[in-house]
Amino acid sequence: MRVAVATRAERSATSSRLAGVGLRLPHLAEVAAGVPTTAWLEVHPENFLANPHARELLLDIARRHSVSLHSVGLSVGSIGGVDRKHLKRIRGLADEIKPILVSGHLAWSTHRGMYLNDLLPLPYTEETLRVVAAHVHEVQDALGRPYVVENPASYVGFATSTLTETEFLAELVARTGCQLLCDVSNAFLSAANMGYDVYAYIDAFPAHAVAEIHLGGFTREDDEATPGGHILIDTHAGAIAEQAWDLYAYALRRFGPRPTLIEWDNDLPSFSTLLAEADRADNVAANALRQGHEHALAG
Amino acid sequence: MLSLADLQCSVARAMITGETEPAAAWLVGGARPEKRLDIHLRHYEASLTAALREKFPACAWLAGANVVSAVACEYVRARPPRLLCIADYGEDFPRFLANDGRARTMPYLESFAALEWAVGRVSIAIDHPPISWSDIGRMGSERLLDSTLSLQPGVRYLSSTWGVDELMATYLSGIEPERFVLPESDTFIEVRGARGAVHLTRLDGATFTFRRELAAGCSIGYAAGAALDRDSTFDPGEALRLLAHANLIVTTSAQANAP
Repeated sequence: MRVAVATRAERSATSSRLAGVGLRLPHLAEVAAGVPTTAWLEVHPENFLANPHARELLLDIARRHSVSLHSVGLSVGSIGGVDRKHLKRIRGLADEIKPILVSGHLAWSTHRGMYLNDLLPLPYTEETLRVVAAHVHEVQDALGRPYVVENPASYVGFATSTLTETEFLAELVARTGCQLLCDVSNAFLSAANMGYDVYAYIDAFPAHAVAEIHLGGFTREDDEATPGGHILIDTHAGAIAEQAWDLYAYALRRFGPRPTLIEWDNDLPSFSTLLAEADRADNVAANALRQGHEHALAG
Repeated sequence: MLSLADLQCSVARAMITGETEPAAAWLVGGARPEKRLDIHLRHYEASLTAALREKFPACAWLAGANVVSAVACEYVRARPPRLLCIADYGEDFPRFLANDGRARTMPYLESFAALEWAVGRVSIAIDHPPISWSDIGRMGSERLLDSTLSLQPGVRYLSSTWGVDELMATYLSGIEPERFVLPESDTFIEVRGARGAVHLTRLDGATFTFRRELAAGCSIGYAAGAALDRDSTFDPGEALRLLAHANLIVTTSAQANAP
């Protein structure tokens, strides 16, 4: 299935405020009560499907704010297929809140009826492409809209991979018409962990398909796989690192303005702290896009 | 070349059993990539055990946070989630916890944990519009006996041989008593909640049976018979009226089947 791009998200990206924040359950009542918030909010649908009270509050919020859905359970990389019952429930929620985007991960998390509650890595091969493309088609058919696929945070790769991650994503876009979510922090930490140039990665990322950007905090730990080395873990448990802000500015100059989400899931701070991070994202974006414009004029 | 199916089998096994060596043959990343796979394993265990700890804080208060955490870790290995919403995970944790050797000195722990699970479930429910006593009265007695009722989604019925409702009320009050005597007696509890609020009500045995059978989907006639078996003086009509007055009845099968 070929699907048209999400126009509401694109419209919001042309405004001066690109940044939204991830809305987590501890902040739900506060936002429903009307505290000032960002231009848009993103939620994990899995937090609302089995929680009627939270869903009721979300529906109220969605009447006043743009909301996007970011699934952590659709598992388009699972060889066993997408859970159709779960997909139907997400469709039901989407019908109610009319999200600006529906996104998920290039990963797998289900196996023979078990839910492994993590985003597990995939080898980048023709076989994986066929599997993921079929599942993305299925999701898009069920949702009646493009699915937005996020690049993963990587700690391991596979010796069997025959494509780079950006080649894989570009081919996935070509085969399915899906859109992409470029998680700049994931790109940064994956490049650091796997030893490649993150700026070259952003250069190769299929810019035309990018519908959204994520920024999340990561944590530096000792790398048990490499004595004396360090590894970056995608914990979403802190502020955005300076290197990720720099990369975000670079990505915006390449992609143009895109809705950008601040993700913070663990050690959750006050909602005002999230808003401050979103303000910073808007400032970084404004500067980056102005510089990009000046460079273009000078060129 | 290893197929995607075999690779996912191998990684999934590593996640459940902790044995990462077989999957490591296909991985790259650092000098010992299996140690990188441990990052996923750690997240899987830590996120689910944290979810269980968040659902059973009263059990941690009673049995000790270290005991609940250790048992939660074993539970995650033994019972991986089958549902994609973690809010649904842990329904059989109370039995698993009670069967652990560290909890055997607390024979009331399973009931208490089951009550805590019920409290958590009803607190996230929302009330539906109830039907009135006069609506039920219009059904006619013959149709009434064969009818089933849907009760509010935020209601659960639990019985115990211990007064675990008193213990839970003590926990919820936030006041730490110097001494608490847990009564050993047949206890019938209605747990009702919605939108964050929860009420525990102790019922007599016959009313409890009547309401529990209705909540399980039995007909009014069957539920009344079960309650009368427990107490021959039970008054089904009055019990039904009280149920309606408590705004607990949402629909009747007679309504649902109406043309």
